[in-house]
Amino acid sequence: MLPDQSHLSDERLLMELDGELSGKEQSEARAHLAACWQCRARRMEMERAIADFTSAHRSVTDAQLPPATAPRARLRAQLSSVTPTRRPFVSRLRLARAAAAITVAALFAFFLVSRARIPAAKAAVISSPDARLTPGAATLANVQAVCSEANVKNKSVPPAMRQAVFAEYGLMRVEPRAYEVDYLVTPALGGADDLRNLWPHSYSAVWNARVKDALEDRLRDMVCGGRLDLAEAQREIAVDWIGAYKRYFHTEQPIDGR
Amino acid sequence: MPFRLTGESVLALWRAPAGAIESAPARPEDVVIGLFDRFRDPLLRYLLTFGLGIADGEEVMQETFLLLHQHIQQEKSRANLRGWIFRVAHNLALKRRYRMLREDGALTCSPVELTADSAPDPEAQAVASQREERLVAILSVLPEVDRRCLALRAEGLRYREIAATLDISLGSVSISLARSLARMSRAVER
Repeated sequence: MLPDQSHLSDERLLMELDGELSGKEQSEARAHLAACWQCRARRMEMERAIADFTSAHRSVTDAQLPPATAPRARLRAQLSSVTPTRRPFVSRLRLARAAAAITVAALFAFFLVSRARIPAAKAAVISSPDARLTPGAATLANVQAVCSEANVKNKSVPPAMRQAVFAEYGLMRVEPRAYEVDYLVTPALGGADDLRNLWPHSYSAVWNARVKDALEDRLRDMVCGGRLDLAEAQREIAVDWIGAYKRYFHTEQPIDGR
Repeated sequence: MPFRLTGESVLALWRAPAGAIESAPARPEDVVIGLFDRFRDPLLRYLLTFGLGIADGEEVMQETFLLLHQHIQQEKSRANLRGWIFRVAHNLALKRRYRMLREDGALTCSPVELTADSAPDPEAQAVASQREERLVAILSVLPEVDRRCLALRAEGLRYREIAATLDISLGSVSISLARSLARMSRAVER
């Protein structure tokens, strides 16, 4: 029972294979194939040629592909250095310039007055890490190991690591002194020296590093006093340190931000 | 507690609370890196068919993804970014190849060295390698457009995307692919 006695052309067979026919054409082609051995055999030949080509294509090129890590890092670095230029801002600025020279003069005057504050004003205030970049990382240390060590919360971060953190957060052109490169899970609670555990924490944030230190001290006391599971303390601080602070200090605002 | 172990230093990693990632607006640079992770290998494989070496291929990739970043920042259409990426990379690769030919008079390497793998497994691979050799011979004499159509289809592009990348009509894509496949199946059946 064929709607059309003529065979399917090579192009049509291929388009049927590739799902490129419209719904109606597809069902017509399928109906023909169901009844036509010749076309089914040609379709099989075609499928075989595709499989052969695909494996030849891969076997030739895959061996030549170097790992993507270095080019990926390079792209990431280049992107962070171009990030601050955003079009809406640029076009607004152009518009303002065209509109009145007075605006430019006013801006310049403002610039002169507030020059000293510009770096801090430009830098984004970061009080909690980007979960995609800094999920938090900890060694699976036991309580004894954590509690027997001297307090290691002021452990410094190596310069190369600091730079990598700034690059990752796209902060290449801001004042690095505005941020402390902070451990998300503090080493005092078994936090790891790992890029995934480091983030730029603004000094100027309300929820700043000193507030976080208070939480870390509280959690460490509780862990070492047997009142809190170490893994739970690590998790709470990694997932939402501000929320944890609010819970443990029963407050909506930091008690002593200094 | 969601955690995973990595290598020798044992690490516990946490996920953000459900919804946190989804609700955060994706930064253009993260979108670009995400697409780079997805398309780097397919795109580089395609670029190699232009006779560019790995280093030139990687340069074209960087250029492409920086342009993509601009494209996204300028809030242009995000419909079919895969097609956009391949089209832009294709044009940049042609430009680079043209420049190389003009400056040096020759490419640093010939368009993808098509050589059949001759792994020492004679009994099982005899027939297969014979087929592959014939196939490789056919591929190397196909017109450039036909070879590109095949390569793009092998990387998963739809006909519409192939047509846009190569700047040919939709009909030409299916004709070209069908023609190459017919030649290949004739060659291996011989």
